[in-house]
Amino acid sequence: MPDFSLSPEHESLRDMARKFARSEMAPHAAECDRTARFPEEIYRKAHALGLMNLNVPGELGGSGLSVFEQCLIVEELAYACGGMTTSIIANCLALEPILLGGTPEQKQRYLQPFCADYHLASFCLTEPAGGSDAGALRTRARREGEEYVLDGEKCFITNAPHASLYTVFAMVNPELRHKGISAFVVPRSAKGLVPGKDEEKMGHRASSTSSVRFEGVRVPVSDRLGAEGEGFSIAMRTLDQTRTPIGALATGIAQAALDHAARYSLKRETFGKLISEHQAIQIKLANMAQAVHAARLLTWHAAWTIDRGHKGTLESSIAKCFASDAALHVADEAIQTFGGYGYMKEYPVEKLLRDAKLTQIYEGANEIQRTVIARELLRGYS
Amino acid sequence: MEIVVCLKPVPDAETRLRPLADGSGLDPEGVKFVLAGYDESAVEQALLLKEANAGSKVHAVSFGSSRWTEEVLRAAIALGCDTATAVERSAGTPEDPLATAAALRNAIEALPHDLVLLGKQAGDDEEGLVPGALAEMLGLPHFGFVVDLRWDPASQRLKFGRSAEAGQETWESPLPCVIALQQAWNDPRTAKLPAILKSRRALLGKANPPTPTADHGRSELERFALPPPRTGARMIEYRTPAEAAEKLVRILKEEAKVFP
Repeated sequence: MPDFSLSPEHESLRDMARKFARSEMAPHAAECDRTARFPEEIYRKAHALGLMNLNVPGELGGSGLSVFEQCLIVEELAYACGGMTTSIIANCLALEPILLGGTPEQKQRYLQPFCADYHLASFCLTEPAGGSDAGALRTRARREGEEYVLDGEKCFITNAPHASLYTVFAMVNPELRHKGISAFVVPRSAKGLVPGKDEEKMGHRASSTSSVRFEGVRVPVSDRLGAEGEGFSIAMRTLDQTRTPIGALATGIAQAALDHAARYSLKRETFGKLISEHQAIQIKLANMAQAVHAARLLTWHAAWTIDRGHKGTLESSIAKCFASDAALHVADEAIQTFGGYGYMKEYPVEKLLRDAKLTQIYEGANEIQRTVIARELLRGYS
Repeated sequence: MEIVVCLKPVPDAETRLRPLADGSGLDPEGVKFVLAGYDESAVEQALLLKEANAGSKVHAVSFGSSRWTEEVLRAAIALGCDTATAVERSAGTPEDPLATAAALRNAIEALPHDLVLLGKQAGDDEEGLVPGALAEMLGLPHFGFVVDLRWDPASQRLKFGRSAEAGQETWESPLPCVIALQQAWNDPRTAKLPAILKSRRALLGKANPPTPTADHGRSELERFALPPPRTGARMIEYRTPAEAAEKLVRILKEEAKVFP
């Protein structure tokens, strides 16, 4: 019999994240959204409480959580602020290639000092000429003796202006297409590594995003992750691990939108009664609740699949794709429930729509997710 | 310093409470009980003393047999308490302050204890009778409504304040003693994630249930009810702020007669 209940351990993790999200993040969410401020003091607190390097094993200084446990936490954080959550969990994405492709010596060398203090890392895959088409990378890594020389530009890189460590995917041999890609760990201090200026974004404005230029950055061979040419595989396996928590992030935004809408419907009157008594609003709320519930269960199921040692490509793509579409839809309906007030920045729901939108785009656009879902699906028929 | 801190699980402030159908008490169904309020402050105080005095240990103790007793004890371990002991409550043991104090005494007497800390009252029934009864049973001095507790190694005395009606009293006491703490003068810490995970695997100690005596169960809860819903709020209809103020003043003068 499958069990959908949370263990006391899961509940205590979720409660801790909820407390942090509601007492430390939520009070600053609107202000950081309005001013696009990067609230480093909140991120420092998140690190101090172990909310930052969730996927790094305990012996390397992280929290060593399963994907399911990560999802419980990420949903709670995103309920308070999607943008802050993106910056808080960006380390999980950036460090996963080291966990998957690093030697024991590399893991010790990079992760121990990194996790011991507050540090941010950035995952550098996407480029100006292509995001989802990772096989067409233009950033080059040229071997020169015991070093590689990196040249090129990455864009839309979360936390890049504030990061101290970058995991970078670059093409060593373009003829081999995606089999010519290698992964590297590059410190902020590397000469020729230049983060660009902060992008002005539609949502996730408490997070920081910029390009990163590599101008003849010299990287010792000992800082390559895995074998030469293994970079694409490391990148894809990384995304298999981190895609599901994006479903949780979207679920958190959707749950916040539903809660705002339901509470508002119990206060606002039109035509002499509360709008919650109008069937039109009831149907909206019922549909929103279904979407949130399904998003959460798909996310939990994908996490459960991965935690049982399966790749979970199909499940995690379904979860990410469905939950992010649900988040946009639920946020949209929350605005509609608020009517004109929902369109005003003074009310919290329009931010949710802007934050939800990104979840359809990053960590694999939903079009790519659907391609993956169809591919995995059809495999079962051929 | 060996510090014992006594804890009681109380309903989460965010839970919706309702009485049992027969009005005999709170319906625990679906209610989450947590470490909260005065007890959270007591744990924080114990940990501050431990950090300021090398070699100190903090022992958490709670009386009860619900899963929530275990939960508050694990929460205490996650916050930094060194050991946790549950005193099991056998069916039929009364829930009155004397039975509770006797149960806590059983656990405390089996532990090294220089100092016993409690919240001055529980966050749910707010009776505040256990600290005094416990001190009496342990044969130790008792201070209540205490704030800002410090250990002074030079004089080997605890120094602390008591909030009194007209101001703040300053006190000192040698160990051992029982101290019931006022809430909210310290900022209770949040447990770190790895510590929460570790606390799930911690072994909890068990102490013997109290032996019932004629004193236990002499006070009994007669009826439990929620306060009636609040009424009387009234919205003023207005077009301009001036009109709102004018109407409000008229109501205060003529109807509420707040001023002539």
